[in-house]
Amino acid sequence: MTKENDNYDRLVRMLRNSRPDLFRPENIENEVIKRIQSRNQSSGMFSGFIDALFGWVYIGWVRRSLIGVSVLLVAIFVYQQAFIIRQVNNISKQVVIIGSESSSVSSSALDKRLALYRLTVRLSPDREIRISESRLEELLDSYDDLQVKYKDLLRIIEEDPELKSYIENRLKEDKEYKPDI
Amino acid sequence: MVEKELIEECRNGDLHNFRKVVEKSTPLIFTVAFRMLGDEDAAYDIVQDTMVTVWQKLDEIKTAASYKTWVYRIAVNKCYDQLRKQKRQKEERFGEREWEIISNHLSEGGNTELENMENAMIINMLTNRLSPRQKAVFVLSELEGLDSDEIVKITGMTRSLVKANLYYARKNIGQLLKKYL
Repeated sequence: MTKENDNYDRLVRMLRNSRPDLFRPENIENEVIKRIQSRNQSSGMFSGFIDALFGWVYIGWVRRSLIGVSVLLVAIFVYQQAFIIRQVNNISKQVVIIGSESSSVSSSALDKRLALYRLTVRLSPDREIRISESRLEELLDSYDDLQVKYKDLLRIIEEDPELKSYIENRLKEDKEYKPDI
Repeated sequence: MVEKELIEECRNGDLHNFRKVVEKSTPLIFTVAFRMLGDEDAAYDIVQDTMVTVWQKLDEIKTAASYKTWVYRIAVNKCYDQLRKQKRQKEERFGEREWEIISNHLSEGGNTELENMENAMIINMLTNRLSPRQKAVFVLSELEGLDSDEIVKITGMTRSLVKANLYYARKNIGQLLKKYL
């Protein structure tokens, strides 16, 4: 065994046997516990801040009220959507194609057209009617004239039972008479 | 070293029982930190940091049997960080007087119980030029008396790297002893 090896072994043995002395280990324990507690406390402060901001959502009656309002809002939304879809379906059933002359129209003209569309659908629901815009305008104007001229006609008929029964009989006869066309 | 039941209690947030864990772990951590750093105050800091980390990562302990290795690993990693800082801060120089002290102890047979200051000085003299890895392997193998399997687990090095580091640590210290003694 060489001198260096001998010195090395003795030195290592000396160091191994000399375990460092630990003074007042309870101080370390206290310090560790204190540090852990302060960490817990700081994380607790953060959660306290969050609770202060949003803690009200845990109150029973607030939660129930919020749920109720949410359900109500969803119901209103669903009802509105259903209503809109129904209206869109109704309008799409009443479309009349009028060729390439389609153009923007005023609201009063639109009213007239709507009235005519309803009339045509009632008369022949399965048929497609093609008509030019100028002819349509003409038809609508004459329809308006008729309404103005004979607006009291129905009232007069209703008020006079004799006249009413006469007209009913004539209509009946017209229905029974169907000439070959 | 630390019982399974004690760890389970600590996992549930029981600080009172964690104090017992600190009490049992402190000597082990202090010794290895003192030997790696050669500084009593720094070793106390490492003990505190390590125990706080242990508290935070208690869930990572798989078995009570592996606790010792796990704590060693945390402490050694913290010592690595400290050594990197120290390396930047100071480069210690030792003179004839310090080597004379070692020589006197060896001439007494190497059975002397060293006080902390002397102990730290000798460790610093011997390991001053070692890399952090060489220092860790030297302390764990030669002073703590751990086998290579344990050192592999603690340091995360391969077995061959542990052997190589230990070889260079011994060689380096041997050269110093040859030069000065």
